[in-house]
Amino acid sequence: MIASIARKEFSEIVRDGRFKWTAGIMALLLLTALAAGYQKYSAYMDIQRMSQDQTNAQWLNQGDKNPHAGAHYGNYAFKPAGPLAFFDNGINNYAGTALFMEAHKQNFAIGRPATDQSSIGRFGDLSGAMILQLLMPLLIIFLGFTAFSGERESGTLRQVLSMGVSNRQLLWGKALGIGGVVLLIVGLCVLAGGLALSLTGPSTESESLGARATLMALSYVLYGGIFLFLTLAVSAWAKNARTALMVLIGFWAFAGFLAPKAAVEISKAIHPTPAFGKWMADMRSHQMRGFDGVPPFVRFEQESREIFAEYGAESIAELPVYVGALRLQKFEEYDFPVFEQHYGQLRDSYTNQRRLQDRIGIVAPTLPLRSLSMALAGTDLIRHVNFADAAEAYRRDMVLKVNNYLGEAAASLNTGYGGGNVLIADEAIFAMVPPFRFDSRGLQATLAEHAGNFIALMLWLAAALGLALWSVQRLKVEED
Amino acid sequence: MLQATKLTKNYGDIEALKGLDMTVEGGDIYCLLGANGAGKTTTISLFLNFIRPDGGTATVCGLDVAEQPLETKKLLAYIPEQVMLYGNLTALENLRYFSQLGGHDYSQDEYRDFLRRVGLEEEAVDRRVKTYSKGMRQKVGVAIALAKQARALLLDEPTAGLDPKASNEFSELLLNLKSHGAAILMATHDLFRAKETGTRIGIMKEGRLVDELSTGEVTHADVEKIYLQHMHAGGHYAQDGAGSA
Repeated sequence: MIASIARKEFSEIVRDGRFKWTAGIMALLLLTALAAGYQKYSAYMDIQRMSQDQTNAQWLNQGDKNPHAGAHYGNYAFKPAGPLAFFDNGINNYAGTALFMEAHKQNFAIGRPATDQSSIGRFGDLSGAMILQLLMPLLIIFLGFTAFSGERESGTLRQVLSMGVSNRQLLWGKALGIGGVVLLIVGLCVLAGGLALSLTGPSTESESLGARATLMALSYVLYGGIFLFLTLAVSAWAKNARTALMVLIGFWAFAGFLAPKAAVEISKAIHPTPAFGKWMADMRSHQMRGFDGVPPFVRFEQESREIFAEYGAESIAELPVYVGALRLQKFEEYDFPVFEQHYGQLRDSYTNQRRLQDRIGIVAPTLPLRSLSMALAGTDLIRHVNFADAAEAYRRDMVLKVNNYLGEAAASLNTGYGGGNVLIADEAIFAMVPPFRFDSRGLQATLAEHAGNFIALMLWLAAALGLALWSVQRLKVEED
Repeated sequence: MLQATKLTKNYGDIEALKGLDMTVEGGDIYCLLGANGAGKTTTISLFLNFIRPDGGTATVCGLDVAEQPLETKKLLAYIPEQVMLYGNLTALENLRYFSQLGGHDYSQDEYRDFLRRVGLEEEAVDRRVKTYSKGMRQKVGVAIALAKQARALLLDEPTAGLDPKASNEFSELLLNLKSHGAAILMATHDLFRAKETGTRIGIMKEGRLVDELSTGEVTHADVEKIYLQHMHAGGHYAQDGAGSA
């Protein structure tokens, strides 16, 4: 019975002249977006790989020089993207993709395409994710708003309900029929895009790609289901098709545009992002002041007795390592808590904003989906923070290695803090710092962080379904 | 098979049906006559549970319509004044869809046979029904009713707007169904056809059944005379006549 209803709904939609246009436009937009994503992703991966190789080579061939100067010469980390980035580019346009790692400084990621775009870029990227988040609901609304209201207007509903079919069966059948059409259009396009990428795109290893893709598909199916049942609910509830369409388009605009914009503004107001100039100045002066208010030079003098004691020495002359290198490394370490505090403050403000946005997401299903989608694609804030953390860990290790080398190599030049500066090392020693590699945190961590968004989508689906069931239960062919 | 007992329906202050008592047995073609607004369509809607009664009961084969709406609908077939079909589906697809909704399924040949029996041209069967005339749509409506193998039929002015030939064919079909023991309740304005096809005639006025006739006992002229008498009579006469048959 439900299958018959679904089949009839399916053939009726497919034979409708409007369908060819809506489906055609949807497919065209989606395929264009996927092609653009594919192109962008391939180009990005090429650049990322080439740049990372180049910067690694530059590091190794930087010439004979003082090891610590090598740390100043520095190295770049380039953020690799998972294959799903072709579908959802997430915050990559804004967060930056390259990070300079050098002695004494923790830096920001640079390379933000958004800074090169005109204001039109603010409307967002043309990506598969955007098309599905904004236009798939519209497609569902267009295909479904007449499901009940249209049959009521044309009079077929009288006959349908005279046949002895239950309202629920009608609901399930229509949901299946309309859902089938949408799945056909969207599924085919996405499949084509995914296939094209996996066959001809850049090969990338990606952690749990299958699971990520599956969860992503599931999220979008949940999202589509929410709009499908809301559409059917409104269609059954509304007096006529026009009212149904107006209500649904209103909700669509709210969920797709108003709510996300409001969520961003509210989260910024409650967890303000520090002003960049002031934040940077605060951090630099905190470094100078020292974390606990004792400037690095003073602190090293105060602690020198204990530091020397670690090496079994009581004076510089007795030290088995070059004191200048020791002090450079100590200065480096004194800065760690300063960086952690200031970058932490920045990160907390972003993270709190995102979490608040996710919580606000309960008012519109587009918000939790968007958050989930970029998390699963690996283009979200968490991934970016992981990348920045990995780069910082790499930076600390790089500086430690060259300072330690300097300490040992210049031990004989231990006349004062600057004695070892004259030491020139062979460039071959820089190979002791391995090339940067970014292994993103696993899927599990992503899921733990985003469980709330999954729950929000489920709640929305349950609410939409409940509304649809309630609405068809009171479905009337005549006013009572 | 179709029975209304003290069936009452109000729309706000308007009493659309005032304690209707009527019975249609298997093999009966019961024609409901009456002016627009007399309560004919309300009666049919109550049997279909499209609206809920404010008093009394409507039963189909002994089942209360309000309590078992889905079960009673399975026993009924309904043909409205305008049979509405899905324009983008063919006659056969429409018939199949409605049959499946009613819980029946037949082979392609059987569906074609139903459509042939109601007199739909062979070439029209696989055409989309948006190109159909009203007569053709009514025929599909009848085919849907036939395929449902209903014990009782509810017809709401099904021949209004049909040409005489189509109307005549329709009557033939009704007689055929009647001979198979179906109970048929038909609201109509066509006095001639009511006398010709019907076995009994009920005259409704202002929500009451004011007279019942057996078509075998009256002539065409009688039917028209009695009908017009009721229409011209004042409310008191109508009330006195209620339930007199």
